[in-house]
Amino acid sequence: MSQTPLKTKKPFFLRFKDERILLILFALMLAFPFVMNLITGSGLNDGITKFWQGQLIIFFIMAVFAMSYDLLIGFGGILSFGHAASFGGGAYTFALLMEHWAPNFIGKYRILIGSLDITEGIVLLIVFLAVVLVSILIGLLFSATSIRLKGAYFAMLTLALGTAMFILVKATDFHEWTGADEGLHGVYVPDWINPTQNRLTIYLISLVFLVVCYLVMKRMVNSPTGRVIIANRENEDRMRMIGYNPVLYRTIAFVSASFFAGLAGALYSIWNTSATPTMVSAVTTVNALIMTILGGMGTLVGPILGAAIMQTISQFFYTWFGARWPLVFGVLFILIVMFLPYGIIGTWRMKRNDIKGGWQKLLRLLSKKEDL
Amino acid sequence: MKPENKKRLMIFIWSLVGVGVVAGLYLYAGKEPFIRTTLSGLTLGSLFFMVAAGLTLIFGLMDVLNFAHGAMFMLGAYMGWQLYTNPTFIFGMLPALLAFSTGIMMTSVIKPYLIRWEISSKWQNFLPKAAYFLALVIGVVAFWGFDILQLANTAMVAATTTTAGNPLAEISAQEPFVQFWYRPLLLLLSGLLVAFASSKPGVKTEFAPLDEMKSKLVLPIVLFGLTILSIIIRESAPVAILLMNGNWRFVISIIVAIAFGFLFGAIVEITLIRPLYVRSFFIVLMTLGLSFVIQELVQLLWDPLAYQMVRPPLFAQPGKAANLMEWLRNGSSTIDVFGVTFPTYRLFVILLGVVMFVFITLLMTKTRLGMIIRAGVQDPQMVEALGINVKRVFTFVFALGVAMAALGGIGAGPFLPIQPAMGEQYQMQGFITVVIGGMGSYVGAFVGAFLLGMGRAFGDYFALKLSLSPAIAEASTVIIMIIVLLIRPQGIFGKKE
Amino acid sequence: MSDHNQNDDILIIDNIHTFIGQFHILEGVSVRVPRGSITVLLGRNGAGKTTTLKSVLGLTPPREGKVIFDGMEIQGKRAFNVANLGIGYVPEHRAIFRALSVMENLKLAERQKGDFNRNADFIFHLFPDLKRLYKLPGNHLSGGQQQMLAVARALVPDNKLLLIDEPSEGLAPILIQQMMDAIRELSQKTTILLVEQNFIMASQLAKRYTIIDDGQSVHDGLMQDLVNDQDLIHQYLGASIKTRKELEKNHETRK
Repeated sequence: MSQTPLKTKKPFFLRFKDERILLILFALMLAFPFVMNLITGSGLNDGITKFWQGQLIIFFIMAVFAMSYDLLIGFGGILSFGHAASFGGGAYTFALLMEHWAPNFIGKYRILIGSLDITEGIVLLIVFLAVVLVSILIGLLFSATSIRLKGAYFAMLTLALGTAMFILVKATDFHEWTGADEGLHGVYVPDWINPTQNRLTIYLISLVFLVVCYLVMKRMVNSPTGRVIIANRENEDRMRMIGYNPVLYRTIAFVSASFFAGLAGALYSIWNTSATPTMVSAVTTVNALIMTILGGMGTLVGPILGAAIMQTISQFFYTWFGARWPLVFGVLFILIVMFLPYGIIGTWRMKRNDIKGGWQKLLRLLSKKEDL
Repeated sequence: MKPENKKRLMIFIWSLVGVGVVAGLYLYAGKEPFIRTTLSGLTLGSLFFMVAAGLTLIFGLMDVLNFAHGAMFMLGAYMGWQLYTNPTFIFGMLPALLAFSTGIMMTSVIKPYLIRWEISSKWQNFLPKAAYFLALVIGVVAFWGFDILQLANTAMVAATTTTAGNPLAEISAQEPFVQFWYRPLLLLLSGLLVAFASSKPGVKTEFAPLDEMKSKLVLPIVLFGLTILSIIIRESAPVAILLMNGNWRFVISIIVAIAFGFLFGAIVEITLIRPLYVRSFFIVLMTLGLSFVIQELVQLLWDPLAYQMVRPPLFAQPGKAANLMEWLRNGSSTIDVFGVTFPTYRLFVILLGVVMFVFITLLMTKTRLGMIIRAGVQDPQMVEALGINVKRVFTFVFALGVAMAALGGIGAGPFLPIQPAMGEQYQMQGFITVVIGGMGSYVGAFVGAFLLGMGRAFGDYFALKLSLSPAIAEASTVIIMIIVLLIRPQGIFGKKE
Repeated sequence: MSDHNQNDDILIIDNIHTFIGQFHILEGVSVRVPRGSITVLLGRNGAGKTTTLKSVLGLTPPREGKVIFDGMEIQGKRAFNVANLGIGYVPEHRAIFRALSVMENLKLAERQKGDFNRNADFIFHLFPDLKRLYKLPGNHLSGGQQQMLAVARALVPDNKLLLIDEPSEGLAPILIQQMMDAIRELSQKTTILLVEQNFIMASQLAKRYTIIDDGQSVHDGLMQDLVNDQDLIHQYLGASIKTRKELEKNHETRK
């Protein structure tokens, strides 16, 4: 009785049909610095163009971080409060290696292909491999200690583990290496990706990073493994009865989320050439949580939108409400949890027809008035 | 081997291990450091317990993980400290609060009539919404121009100009009655509107019998009387309180902190948490947002600074007491415990924790309410089927948990810096305590808290000895938790699902 | 069925529809419970008998239809309000409170102070075992004792109606007999709406029956008519063929 599902192979360009809007946005973002440059005429690495590039870079990186968090709570149904450990772990791995190892290595060795000096490239490659390794290890550590637990126990254990990481990063015992409270600043970064000297490069890199991560995560969520992870969220006992091992799939979700978060952390560390304890703290996790809730859990576009809104809010709320702007923000958050629990995208998807109908009604109303 | 015998053997082995560890520590550290570390461990454990007790009760009955518990601990400290140094704030706000609650308490009086009102379903939908909106508008109007910040700011003056023991704060004048009179009146109206909306006019499925109206009127009338009284004593009471003996003032501030915590918890449960029981995942997010808001609010009122609360005179006089009687007579700040000089206030904190444990034990084992709670942990639906209003029990337990956190806060007030972030660390330790002790078990919370407190104290001791930073000792509590969870995933006193 | 007056009914369930989550569990159930006798709900497993009881009580409130208890509409009201009107509930799977002692279990069921002391003699007369186990915690009781406690708990306040869900489930035959005697004696005092899988027990106790199938009430009438109606039994209660055989035997011996 088994029917193999029909799989039609679409032509390459049609496969991106669903991502039309994404492609347009990507193109817009790609063109953004150049357009800004044309309008303001202040140079690509100067003035307001540079400032907005910086804002967008933070947005791109935080969007990836928020998406990786959504992979956990939205798709896996895993409420982890230790996700910043992966983010900060990536950042610290990058910063530590670049600070303490890379300058020595570059000082001692040169790797050449013909006359092309690729030493810095190789160093970056190795460092990023280390980042990947560390973030996967952190994911595995969290999984190994806590993945068997459920619900509240799990949330608390991840919170405790995350806090332990935070405390260790801040501990004065490792001051020489981690810089304790202050963190690592002025980390060595090769000139061609240095955000102050060459912001456009890092802008483009983080933009491409966001798009690639989005596509990979989308593919992952829609893959059979992703389906099992989602099904796990809905009904674990039933999945176990069917013969899947829920713990294994939760671990997969956890490790992959940790992987993306680690990469985002490393990129963030490049962007501000530093790694600080804040990146490991619960505040960072809560930030990602808020972005995800705001945009909509269980959608990948949601966290991106959430990150964009957060970035904007933190820019403008300060000027509107003064130093206590988080108060307004917190009240907003509570209202969202009460009345828009599925976030902006989630609510939109659920009530798409209602909203569209409402718009059409409104338009009809307006057009009638014009007729009169 | 019989399971009971096995259990006994396990208890025996574990107590042997415990005694061995204690003896080892005693021999290693020597007598004096051992006693000192034990005492500070007990102090910490007592504080952890005061946070964890509420957490574990709330979690046990309602499966709610309260991430705002630390913020409520902090709020308790602030409220107690305010009454202690700046009663103007509390007495200035009291009329408004009492007026509003008088209005809300009218619910039980007007509800029987309102639900028998014949109106169409359209109006049934519309009226409550309109009433809520109107109540909000009136509430805003009532507070418009009311200088809360100035009332709170008096404290800052007070904090810097106090003398030890019996400080006399500067009392700035409050709004004169001619300007003030309409505020409580408007808030009474606002509360009445909320009562109107929450009694769901016209909804036939609501239940409220028309009998015994007289007994239902008692509470609103009492509250109304209190409102008028609080308006009258608005100016004089703060002076009276500040002139009072510091010890009595401290007792009053403890009572105020508990009362405030109870009220605040009840309000939070009814308005914010109750609608979310059907989507329990969001309760965690809600409490997270709430803790954020509370912290910001406190920073708005009292600025993001750390304050020092003066110890009550019973714990304030310099000098060392040889025994309990001497301490009580002289009010010495330190006392001699087995040859170790130890601050008396910390002894008081230990006592507070133990008293609270006894209170909870009595409540849970001896009263009908405790019976309901223990039954509700297992099967809330069946409790409801017996004719008990489980939602009200939920509200009560939440309020009780928050009140205990607030008590912990004011208890910690005189020896911790009072600042917006003071609850966070204790919340974290409270979580760990609850996990170690077993979720929902108050005995577990007690044992876990003291285990953790001891672990922390001796961790600090060894960190000092091995010239490590105390941060390592703090992180090591997580290791204790992981070890316990690996041996007993449900916690020490937890029950297997 | 117009063989009895409507005013005699203490409980009328009129065409209720109940949803649990998104699942439509009851799709039109109507039951009448005449005062002072035992009415039994019959039906296969998962037909919606337990949900019917819970809908009466308001634990799973019906979305449509009416529930009239003692002349008062109670659908949609909160469970504790409904219970306080005088409905006792004995849930399936002996849901007693395991953390509480027998005494506490009984005391918890008091609606007014002194309920228990007033009815203690009657309860211990029906279930003498409980007097002996008075101080034991609930999780130390055997299955049968737990079931007795669950029934006893509903007797503490003076209820006008008892909803009893599968009292014979998982009990040894001798205990079933004891339980049957107890329920028969109870029916002298109050009205009982019973859910029972054990057809022998149901047929000997009940005066009237209602058959529920796939969330709908399909048939009702007097029990003495049903025991003779082989086709009906076979159509709706076919799952218990063994019981039917025993029933026939029972009939022969009685004749």
